[in-house]
Formats: sequence, C-alpha cells, structure tokens
Amino acid sequence: MSEWFSNALIRAQDLTGLVDQQWMDPVRTKAITQLKNTAWPNRKTEAWRYTPLRSVERTTASVKSTENDLSQLAPVVIPGIEPIEVVFIDGRYCAALSSGELPEGLSIVLGSKLEARDELLDKLSAIKPERHLFGMLNDALAQDVVWIKVGCGVSIDTPIRISNLSSQSAESHVKAFVSLEEGAQATILEMADAEGQTLSTGFTEYDLAKNARLEHYRFALQTGDNVSVGGSHFKLEEGAQLNSNIIGFGSDLQRLDTDIIYAGENANAKLNAIYLLDGKELFDLHATVEHAVPNCVTEENIRGIVADRARAVFNGRIHIHRDAQKTLAELNNRNLLLSDKAEINTKPELEIYADDVRCAHGATVAEIDKKALYYLQTRGISRAKAQVMLNFGFINELIDQMPNEVIAEWVRPMIRSRFEQMEVK
Amino acid sequence: MSNENVLLSIKDLHASVEEKNIIKGLNLEIKPGEVHAIMGPNGAGKSTLGYVLSGREGYEVDSGSVSLGGEDLFDMETEERARAGLFLAFQYPVEIPGVSNLEFLKASVDATREANGEEAITSADFLKQAKEACKKVNLPVSFLKRGVNEGFSGGEKKRNELMQMLLLKPKLCILDETDSGLDIDALQVVAEGVNSQRSDERSFIVVTHYQRLLDYIKPDYVHVLSDGKIVKSGDASLALELEAQGYSWLQTEPAEDELEG
Repeated sequence: MSEWFSNALIRAQDLTGLVDQQWMDPVRTKAITQLKNTAWPNRKTEAWRYTPLRSVERTTASVKSTENDLSQLAPVVIPGIEPIEVVFIDGRYCAALSSGELPEGLSIVLGSKLEARDELLDKLSAIKPERHLFGMLNDALAQDVVWIKVGCGVSIDTPIRISNLSSQSAESHVKAFVSLEEGAQATILEMADAEGQTLSTGFTEYDLAKNARLEHYRFALQTGDNVSVGGSHFKLEEGAQLNSNIIGFGSDLQRLDTDIIYAGENANAKLNAIYLLDGKELFDLHATVEHAVPNCVTEENIRGIVADRARAVFNGRIHIHRDAQKTLAELNNRNLLLSDKAEINTKPELEIYADDVRCAHGATVAEIDKKALYYLQTRGISRAKAQVMLNFGFINELIDQMPNEVIAEWVRPMIRSRFEQMEVK
Repeated sequence: MSNENVLLSIKDLHASVEEKNIIKGLNLEIKPGEVHAIMGPNGAGKSTLGYVLSGREGYEVDSGSVSLGGEDLFDMETEERARAGLFLAFQYPVEIPGVSNLEFLKASVDATREANGEEAITSADFLKQAKEACKKVNLPVSFLKRGVNEGFSGGEKKRNELMQMLLLKPKLCILDETDSGLDIDALQVVAEGVNSQRSDERSFIVVTHYQRLLDYIKPDYVHVLSDGKIVKSGDASLALELEAQGYSWLQTEPAEDELEG
C-alpha cells in the first residue's frame, strides 16, 4: 500500500457530503469501497507490469485549493479550428474559458448544476470498466463532471474540445461523459497540457446510441516530469461508428486505457494510435475491445517510434464473445526502435470464443524496409536522409488517415519536429 | 577511342547474387545520345545489370570495371551514382506509404542540385515543375500528394518513374522492362515520354524481353544478353530478327549452373 494511495482515499472520503460534491456521493462512495479492497499495483500486477508507479508514489503535486489562475493557462490554438471549448483547470471546470453559446442540439452541463442528476449518475462509470484502478481513483477524486450531449439526429460540425490544463505541481482529476443520441454526429478532442511536475487523471466515457458517429482525437502530449493516467471508454450501440485517433508523447509516466465495447450489431470502430518517445520517457497504451455482439468490425493500427532510453508499452486485447459471430477484427502494432537502449513491450491478445469470425493480429519491431531505402537512394537521396523519410513516413501514414484534414495538418508539423529532434540524437 | 566520348563503359563485368554468378563477362560502351536496347530471355541477367550498376545491396561485383563519365562507378554509393546522372526506371517501383510523392521528388531533385553545387529549389518553383511533369506523363496532379506509388496501377507507377526522369534530367537512363504490364495505350504514353527526353546529352539502355517497345523507342543498337554475356549485337533490325526467331537459338548449350546443378 502506498502512502499516496492511502492519502488519496482519505481525501476522497473528505469530499463526500460536501455541499457541492454531495450529488456525486453514490459514485464516489462506491469507488472508495472498491479501492479499499484493491491492492496498490506492483511489478507482479499484470496491468502495470512494465509501468512502475514510482512517479505517482513520489509525486509532489497536490490539489490546488486557490481560485483558478487564468492568466497563464489557455488551450493551445489549432489554426483553422475554433473548437467548442470545455476547459478544466487543475481539475475544476472553468466557465470563463469554456464556450457559453452552443449550437442547437448540443448541451454541455456541469453535473452539479443538473436538476435531474439521477440520469447522469446512472450513466457515470457504467461504460468505463471497474478494473481501471486510476479510473476508480478518478471516480473518487473528481470534483467536477461535465456531460456533453448531442441530440437525436443532430450533427455538430465544429469540433468539441475537452481540455485538461494543469498549473505547476497541480494534481487534477478530470471527468466527462459524452452522449451521442440516435444518429448524432460529433468530433471530440481530448487534450491535456501541463507544465512542471503535475499529476493528472482524465477519464471520459462515450455513449454512442444507434447509428451515432464519433470522430475522436486524444492528445497526450505532456512531456517531462508530468504524470498522467487516463482513459477513453466507448460503448457502441447498433450501427454506431467510431474513428479514434490517439497521439502520445512520453513523460515520467503517461498511461492511457481505451475500451471499445460493442453493445449493438453492425457497429464499427477504427482506432489509430501513434507514439513518439524520447529520453527516458514512458508511454503505455492499453486498448481493449469487447465484441459482445455479432457483426461488428474493428481495425486497430498502433505505431510507435522509440528513441534513446525511452520505453513504450502496448497491450491490445480483442475479446470476441461466444455470440459475436461474423466479427471482423484486425490489430496491428508496429514499432521502430532508434537506439539499442530503447524498449518496447508489446502484447497483442486475441481471445476468441465464437467460431465464425475473421481476426488478425500482429506486432513487430521493425527494421527499415530495405527495398524502399534502396529506391530512395537510386533517386539521389542519401541513406541517412532516406532513413529519416521512411521513419517519418511510417508515422505519417496514420496522420494521413485522420478524417479531419485541418487537425491532421496541425498535427503533422508538430510530430515532424519532435521526430526530427529524436532523430538528431 | 578516347574516353571523353564515352558516357558508360562496362569492361568484362562479372557479378553475382547470393554467390551465384549472373553477369559473366559483360562488355558495353555507350556514347552520349545513344539508345541501346538489351534483349534476352528470362534469367539472362537483364534486370541484374541495372541493379549492379545502381549499386543494390546484395548484388556483388566480382570483377571488371564500369565507368560513368570517366568516373569509377563502383567508387560511388547508390545515391552518388544517381547524382552523377544514372537513373534506373524500375520494373516494379516500390510503394512507400506515408512519404508523399511531392516530398520524395523534391528531395531527389535537391540532392542532385546540391551535388552540383546548386541551392535547393524553392517549394513554389518545384511545385510548378512537378505539375508540368505530371501533365507531360499524363498523371493527375493529385498524384503528387499521394504516397510514393501508393495504390498506383502498374501503368501509373511507370509514368511516375518517367516523371522522376523528367525532373532529375539524368545522363543515362536504364529502363528495366518498362513495357511489362502495360497495355498498348500506356506503352505509347511512356514511349512518347522517353522519346521527348532523347537528346545528344542523354543516353538510354532499354531492357526488354519483347520487341514491341522498340517499335516506339527506336534503338541505335540492339544487344542480345544470354547467360550473363552479350552474345550478339546489331542495329534495330536485330530486334525484328529476334521477334521472328524467338530466343530458342540461344539455348543450344545449357546454362552453366544447370550443368553444375
């Protein structure tokens, strides 16, 4: 049992019954009870085997009690997009930086302000699986919950951005719930930004009703001594479509859990993830797909470049339940290591209980494609330059696949400059 | 003969792949502006010659010499050979997803410019040139944005090779079975592109199994390659002769490795 963990439980307990927090008590109390029966992970805990929690145990970050300081923090500008903003600062919802006027059919409300809270309480933490320790901690410690709801048949063209901004040495817990009602469409960006030693959990649940379509981007770009554990958890009803894109840089600890749960037939999900790690950074992605019903399609492309002494962890589990006939599922994890000391622990897992399915999975730690290298050289491009072009191309291929071109054009130079810094070493 | 008048000189070249001799004593001289066709049966070493000249890994030179513009070719890396004016148009161009055609083309042109002591071309100037080149080879401009050869049809890949040739302006072009997999219309487009690039400054080696391509690209010389050697040379009429006779007359003696095997 770590001291940080015990303290966290005490702090959570202290939140129960507070005037503006009381409404969350059912969720919080349940989480506290479960956490009390949960062992703090160590190296033998499978879900944390390659990701030590030392940086959590030793964190100096703490929950800020002062008013938000707005002068320093603001969501990063994405040229060509003016998102509908949902901003959290140090774990608290910030109305001043969040969008006030919303298009018709979209509602964004703070849980504490809701008249009919029971509806949200019923939904909260029902999609996010209970096995996520930090998800549970987030249930116990989050103080604000935002509910984003897109109405039946409504299409919101402007991307909605959930920002989790942390000031110096802040501890924060951000929680959001997104409902896309029948036939609704939306683009949601989850973004975190932090400076200095911070600790943050950010969990978002997505409820996609029949034929809803979600374009999702999650940027985990905090580097340095930031510690961040988060998750995006999706439930897809019949005919729902998800296109999810994750971009991760590493930090002292950067862990993301994503769950895709099929609850209705003929739904499909595409998950693309990119990670670029340098120095002594760590990035850990756990992706779980539950094919509980027939006729759903999953495609996962996970690619990473790991330089210097950085470490990447990828665990991709696809669970095809007995009734999930006619499932199509593909999972592919490819990695490039730029140094001898860089490390990747990859574990694709297919668990299949249905007999009429098509599944493929693979994980590689790739050498560069020699034929492509030769081809570039025959056009006068030096071997070194060709190698850089091919390595970047390996990542760029997934950027090319991003459905939102404006976001892709914003991401590309950012990834390129990080990549070039990695290559230089 | 003075070396100054010779662009490419291959002397008694022996080369092997995975310790198997493929080129077994090849001699060839090409002067600026000449078009040489190399014909021959499958397995004669036609493609190997292009790979050896371009310096592909795994293609070992056992003996002999090759000079390009008076310089020893084997002293140069693959990319240096390209910058010195050697261009190999591939039979099967490689697909490189994630690297845009435009980025690739500009990097190649810049590499050659740099080698010639010129500055990198500006993006705007290059885009203009690339668009013109697209038009000449009948490829939509949108192909510049796509990954290198990614999802291109066989004909589109060949035209993309041709586009690179137009932009790089090499001294010696080796066209490796450029006609394979092309229908007659696509073949004509490629041949016209090649013909438009013929000049006193530029030579070609047209490697082909069939005479068909030579109806469109008229060679000055035709060589028959068999079992790693040039066994017969002549003018364009030799190609027609081969078309009529086939290659069976070459196989009066079994190949060496078959004896060994």
